Amino acid sequence: MTEVNTSVNTDRNAGGKGMALEVDNISKSFPGVKALQNVSFRAEPGKVLALLGENGAGKSTLLKVLSGDIKPDEGEVRIGGVPQKFDAPVQAIQAGISVIYQERQLVPSMSVLENIYCGDLPATKAGFLKKKEMRQTAERIIQEFGLEIDPFEKLGRLSTAHQQMVEIMKAYRRDSQIIAFDEPTASLTDKEVTILFDLIQRLKEQGKIILYVSHRLAEIFQITDEIVVLKDGRMVKQLKTAETNEAELIKAMVGRDIGDTYSSLKRNDKMGDVLLEVNNLTTDAVHDVSFKLRRGEIVGFAGLVGAGRTEVVRAIFGADPIISGEVILDGEKVNFKHPKDAIDAGIALCPEDRKEQGLIRFRSVQDNVCLPVFKKMRKGLILDRKKQEALTEKAVEKYSIRTPTFEKLVVELSGGNQQKVILGRWTSELLTTKLLILDEPTKGIDVGTKAEIYQILCDLAREGKGVIFISSELPEVINIADTIIVMHNGHITGTLAREDATEEKVMSLAMLD
Amino acid sequence: MNGSFIKRITRNKAFSLAIIMFAVWIIFFLLNHNYFVGENFTGIMNTSSLSGTIAIGLACLMMSGSIDLSAGAEGCFGGVLVALFLRTGMNWILALLLTILCGVVMGLINAFWVNAMKLMPFISTIAMSSIYQAMAVIVTKSSEIAIGEGPFTRLGTGHIGIFPLPFIIMVILMVIYGLMLNYTKFGRRLILCGGNRTAARLAGINHQKITTIMFANCGAISALAGAILAARMNNGGPRAVLGAEMDAMTAAIIGGVSFLGGGTSGMGTIFVALLLVNSFNNGLQVIKVNSFWQFVTRGGLLILALIVDYFRESRRQKALKQGAKV
Repeated sequence: MTEVNTSVNTDRNAGGKGMALEVDNISKSFPGVKALQNVSFRAEPGKVLALLGENGAGKSTLLKVLSGDIKPDEGEVRIGGVPQKFDAPVQAIQAGISVIYQERQLVPSMSVLENIYCGDLPATKAGFLKKKEMRQTAERIIQEFGLEIDPFEKLGRLSTAHQQMVEIMKAYRRDSQIIAFDEPTASLTDKEVTILFDLIQRLKEQGKIILYVSHRLAEIFQITDEIVVLKDGRMVKQLKTAETNEAELIKAMVGRDIGDTYSSLKRNDKMGDVLLEVNNLTTDAVHDVSFKLRRGEIVGFAGLVGAGRTEVVRAIFGADPIISGEVILDGEKVNFKHPKDAIDAGIALCPEDRKEQGLIRFRSVQDNVCLPVFKKMRKGLILDRKKQEALTEKAVEKYSIRTPTFEKLVVELSGGNQQKVILGRWTSELLTTKLLILDEPTKGIDVGTKAEIYQILCDLAREGKGVIFISSELPEVINIADTIIVMHNGHITGTLAREDATEEKVMSLAMLD
Repeated sequence: MNGSFIKRITRNKAFSLAIIMFAVWIIFFLLNHNYFVGENFTGIMNTSSLSGTIAIGLACLMMSGSIDLSAGAEGCFGGVLVALFLRTGMNWILALLLTILCGVVMGLINAFWVNAMKLMPFISTIAMSSIYQAMAVIVTKSSEIAIGEGPFTRLGTGHIGIFPLPFIIMVILMVIYGLMLNYTKFGRRLILCGGNRTAARLAGINHQKITTIMFANCGAISALAGAILAARMNNGGPRAVLGAEMDAMTAAIIGGVSFLGGGTSGMGTIFVALLLVNSFNNGLQVIKVNSFWQFVTRGGLLILALIVDYFRESRRQKALKQGAKV
């Protein structure tokens, strides 16, 4: 990497150019999660700074702070030494910060041109648009990108890759001094990636500050000058790209203290026969997935967000159609057309989106526990309250769900207790659940409750149930699961036993480039 | 450039709606030859000026991503108010301006529930509709308030050539608002808000400010429409304007404005859609369909428009998610 403009100009009157961006001691908490803790780094003009970290390391939260979308609890952002206070995104834009979001923020029914301007259209004092100026600017930008797009075409008619490029043009048009890219290459083809990297090189030469969020290591080595590694919302270190290597980065991303949470778990030591066998499963999103799960075994799925883990279990559960391959449950070939069939066959799914898909938020704890077994609680035409209460009481006792009454609405419980309600629902004695699938069960849950959930998983295994455990938190997958399956881009890239699994091994399988 | 000239014409919504409208005209003409009499067309223009004027405010509000189901009731209250003001002997221009101001206040009340209290516009404006309608009944003691002949009533009954004055007022307003939507920064920002609220917020656009203005605007235009109807009828009645917001909404949706935000439309398309809806309603009268059944067919037309809107929206969502594959 050649270093352009190495001299740092911190002159406060330089009019934006040549000023460094300083992030000083930023902290941000959400209920139950410390998203950022005392993060500090410095980005120099004319350089590309990578923000690197696992899922949930705090990269996105950091970008949201920089874009003025959320306010930090502590700390400040300084541009050229001047502290910035952003109450709304517009102030960050005025201060010269543009963020290009991974989720495209575009309007498909409007033209490419209008999306490039995104409301910030040039107009006369009376408010009338300067159409000629708009067209010329848009055409110039599209040309500078080297793309062939009609500025008057409706955005919705463009390919995903071109839409992503329009999102980038939006920030480019503002001519901001600081431009942050959030996983920009996720939906681009090779051709656009080349265009993007050329563009970043040009912006760099103009002395702009580029922040580049990605977990594709190859890209980071290709275009960045410096790397800030984040982990669990903390900054691990800031290093020069030229002076580091992949192994060091992965170690910095995952290396952390593993408490004795895991060693004190009471695990299952007796494995039964094969409960679930998946052979060459292929759907829209996953390819050729095969694995086996024995009774009493916990199989963990590791990988980055979007690697296809959720899609595998959705296909098994009958929520997504299977294109080819087979699923064998208890020695019998099955192909569920609807989740109801899967539930009847003894499979339960605790989905990732606990609030939207897992619970009926504005119903009581009791209703949520009894949901799948209402049919079995009839007394004539009405429901037997005593039976419901008895079932709920068992679940509350078994998992020590902290709720004052059974009538409490689940929406008012903490995340951990909500998760326990879902577990209580699927493990009641009235259901013959053989296989439990948990998708990110510890997301947004505090450390203490996490440990309780881990023990519940081990207890379920000890009862002889099969457990599929999907998690983006590496330490918990490799310490809880008996077998760890790593996925990348819809394929299984490796299967490890717990004894052999290390975070470094799993991470390099998950980030195969 | 994409597509040939013919392709572009057929893709043009106003054009395809015009074809449907001609078909409607021909069918009703075949059923009853009186349909094509000039007098009847004056009738169509008169009735469409009411729902059409309301449709202007309503369509702009819908494009910004909200809705006002009390537009009809606002119009009704407006008609009653202008009659009451005139009865005090007030100058007619002042009376009309005061009525429009009252419309602004009604719109601001709607905006308050939606923006400050975070109520759903669908529900809160239905509630306000009931209140505005009841207010109209209360202040008139449930009777019509007569308006003496004068310059004000000519606003409703006058003609320029074959065109009734209310129709001309509507067309002028449509042109003004059409220009606003297409050629001003505010208009484009309004449409951006309806299309993608998050994008608008991140680009620093104040969504609440825009919907507040559009609610006030919808109230003002509805009150004006009600006042013009009162001028045409020579009285302000507590049961006038009933159901006009439904025709207005049907026209807006057929014209391409989405119920779910994000759909955009030129005022020209809404104009054609409006004539289509009113020609249809009028045709039912001409062939002497029982007036109760007319409400059934009107409802049916709205359902049809909603179904089309739903398919349009799901296609749009798909386009946003996938884009055309490279």
